[in-house]
Amino acid sequence: MAELLGTFEQSVLLSIFGLRDEAYGRAVLNHVQKLLQRNVSAGAVYATLERLEARGLVLSRLAEGSPARGGRARRYYTVAGEGERALSETQKALTAIWKDVQLPIQEGL
Amino acid sequence: MKMPAHEPPRWAERFLERLLPARARQVVVGDLREEYVESMLPLRGKLRADLWYIQQIASFMPHFSQERGPMGTILSFVSWFCLASTCWLAVMEMLLRHDGYELRATMAGGFALICLATILVRMLRLGKRSERWLWAGAAVLIGCGGEAFLHNATADHFEGFAVVISVVLLLQGTLMLITLGRPAKGNARPLETTLG
Repeated sequence: MAELLGTFEQSVLLSIFGLRDEAYGRAVLNHVQKLLQRNVSAGAVYATLERLEARGLVLSRLAEGSPARGGRARRYYTVAGEGERALSETQKALTAIWKDVQLPIQEGL
Repeated sequence: MKMPAHEPPRWAERFLERLLPARARQVVVGDLREEYVESMLPLRGKLRADLWYIQQIASFMPHFSQERGPMGTILSFVSWFCLASTCWLAVMEMLLRHDGYELRATMAGGFALICLATILVRMLRLGKRSERWLWAGAAVLIGCGGEAFLHNATADHFEGFAVVISVVLLLQGTLMLITLGRPAKGNARPLETTLG
């Protein structure tokens, strides 16, 4: 069984899914902020992307940059098969954990 | 030459380029410039956009500046501690003005500079040329830390804070000798080689 993902990692992976072919760093940053409904630092998003890529959960490719970026390259991300599996297992685990819980949580659970 | 007003401050971009590993450098700086030019500047104005950019740079420090393993992390912590204590010592010497305070304040200021240089060299990866100067700094810290420790141990009046600071100076000097010669990790895949 793959290691379960944290909330932030799930947000980053789901953002890459949601953005499809447009999932590069800046777009992922803005999408994660929208998903979590709070300001998120660029450092946290890029560090998470690096970590997910090192674990084989996302793949990346470089593309040419635009003049607005001073000609600097863009890195586009896609979720790898391993990433989809990790998301799916995390969802299953969370659903199982919450299955019999009713809020507000009753004593003696 | 003055920077055009519609771009992030040049010094901030250069600082970020130094801070990041080679693989992330172009991509991250490009992304932040794009966000700055297309979103932050039109929505928030120059000053707040600049502040946003600086805030983003700060957010990269804990993630990308600790690339020399646990020893490097300990060295960072000790360097910040030494910087704070030596600055405090220098200020107190200047305020209290006991006999010979000029020499002691100057020495504390010198230690603070070595600590600051260690932090900057590690954080900005200034390379082997800059690191060479820190070998001398490490020798100074070990020498002065050791002398202060022995002097305090044999003195009639025992000073607890002097022992703490001398031990930390010794520790920092030793960690500098261990870590500064090591190559930084994380630069194995230069961006250019994977382009296309």
